[in-house]
Amino acid sequence: MPQLEDRLIRCFASVFPGYTQEEIVEMGENSHGAWDSLSAVTVAAVVQEEFNVEIDPAVLPQLDSFQMYRKYLSRTSSTLE
Amino acid sequence: MKLIEALETLRCPVADAAPEFNVSLACGISPLHLQTFLAAELRKRLPENRVVVRPGFYGDLLGNIQRLNASAMNSLALVIEWADFDPRLGIRTLAGWRPMELPNIVESATQMAGRLQNAIREIAQFLPVIVCLPTLPLPPMFSTKRAHAGQCESQLLYLAASLANDLARVPGVRLLSVQTLADISPFSCRYDIKSELATGFPYTLSHASAIGDLLSRLIAESSPKKGLITDLDDTLWAGVLGEDGVDGISWELDRHTQMHGVFQHFLSSLAGAGVLVGVASKNDPANVERAFERSDLYLTKNDIYPLEVHWSPKSNSVRRILETWNVSADSVVFVDDSSMELAEVKAVFPELECMLFPRGDDQAIWQFLRNLRDLFGKSVVTEDDALRLRSIRDADAWRAMAQSPAASLDEFLKAAEAVITFEPVLADASAREFELINKTNQFNLNGRRLIQSEWRALFNDPDAFVLSVSYKDKFGPLGKVMVVAGKAKGQSLILDSWVLSCRAFSRRIEHRCLSYLFETFSANQVTFEFSPTPKNAPVQELLTQILGRPPEPGATLTREQFETKVPPLFQRVEGKIHAST
Repeated sequence: MPQLEDRLIRCFASVFPGYTQEEIVEMGENSHGAWDSLSAVTVAAVVQEEFNVEIDPAVLPQLDSFQMYRKYLSRTSSTLE
Repeated sequence: MKLIEALETLRCPVADAAPEFNVSLACGISPLHLQTFLAAELRKRLPENRVVVRPGFYGDLLGNIQRLNASAMNSLALVIEWADFDPRLGIRTLAGWRPMELPNIVESATQMAGRLQNAIREIAQFLPVIVCLPTLPLPPMFSTKRAHAGQCESQLLYLAASLANDLARVPGVRLLSVQTLADISPFSCRYDIKSELATGFPYTLSHASAIGDLLSRLIAESSPKKGLITDLDDTLWAGVLGEDGVDGISWELDRHTQMHGVFQHFLSSLAGAGVLVGVASKNDPANVERAFERSDLYLTKNDIYPLEVHWSPKSNSVRRILETWNVSADSVVFVDDSSMELAEVKAVFPELECMLFPRGDDQAIWQFLRNLRDLFGKSVVTEDDALRLRSIRDADAWRAMAQSPAASLDEFLKAAEAVITFEPVLADASAREFELINKTNQFNLNGRRLIQSEWRALFNDPDAFVLSVSYKDKFGPLGKVMVVAGKAKGQSLILDSWVLSCRAFSRRIEHRCLSYLFETFSANQVTFEFSPTPKNAPVQELLTQILGRPPEPGATLTREQFETKVPPLFQRVEGKIHAST
């Protein structure tokens, strides 16, 4: 699981530069403007490519924070490669 | 490139003083990750610049072109998809695909193609335009089966091909190659329908990455190589001349050696485009002489200069060829079928591109030729390119004379009956001059390279002048060999760019140019925007000679100083046209 979290942190760090790891794991829609529609789409694209998963567009609105992504990916067996 | 790599590339810091390189990305789709990939690829290619990619408005391709402020941009990347011709060719607008409506779709698409073409022609006068024509499949809107291209489908494909044909002829427009794109992005792996519906971005990440890569290659083109040195045995032809004899070497279908003939064809094409082709071979010179007498050889001796044929190490041959061509090793490719020979040459010339000719593997030779195309390809082949090889041959005689005592050099120059023509450069017909400015290393005032927008801006400055200088003598023409650009302020001239092709050294063309400038502009001084570079020793030597001291940036030469230092000039000057005309 730490490996998953590290990879996910790298994904988020590429979209949200300048944030510390601690800030990234707390990141979500309430992150004072950093999380907007463009960054949400970009995070989804990066995560899909990096974890080789296809996120259902219907699920996407629920993935509104680092922690939601972590939970989503930990449920997806293909990410534990 | 993966998206995360692109994003991380863009996060790398850029020096505060780095000049901006602005690219407008005009497309009808949402630019989203394409913008990211394009910016990242450009960052890799232009590490000294602060790359900024600016997208336009979603769904308004034509408006994005028409609203563009060309003076603020270095380049325009234009990505067209089918729905930009008519929204009914996409899936986000549902307005009917009934067979009776298809002719109307074709008609409106044709009209839009015409409007786009006009807008591109207009903007291409001011900045380079890179065009990517539709890359995605047409929607399933036709009444025929997928395997059957019916009339309307064919008309739409013809429309795109016709637009490509027209745009390819517009100066300043470069088309992205659909064949190269297909190499790196298979047709069936391009369309992301979920993404298109969710965000208006229709490309898979791999396809967006491929388009970003190719667009960046066309926006920030690398300088083409200038020369190719090839081996003979088992490279230019199949077989070993010393063992198989003149009649035993081959390049033909019947003997399964056709790809050597294809290589000859390729080299002949390069020579026609002005690439220098030389030979470095360990062989008996007399045998090689006889081999080149074979009439079925596709590459003739006229296409090659020089031929270094002997038993010395190949690095010696390469050195002599580089000296004859007067070009640096990093602008030359050496081809040989022997890894050992390549290693020997590479050890002496690490900057030289050394490529193994994959003899016996036809598929690999095919790929090898494609790689060579990328190394030598250039946007425009000019008339001057065809003169290059001959003038290099003549240059040997000139070089020998240049090392003679002054008196005999004067006699030689006088007897050459040289004619120098000065012409103002026109913005729309300046491909050769632009190329000279950007590829000349040795006689180059400051090594400064210009991008298209900077080049075109020169022509809009009322104080600026841009002159091209052509040279010919009784031995033949050298074509356009010099470009000088600067500003005239009262009786002072400031030279910003000054380049002279190395083919034209030792003819005192540079002295004649200064003489012409002093006279034509009634100037009493010339200031040189000089900067030393690792390669511009020839210009440093000239300035040292006429200034009487090593040059510094901003060095000024008075007319009086020049007249005391200028050697005798024997050229006749033609085309005395003042720059302001």
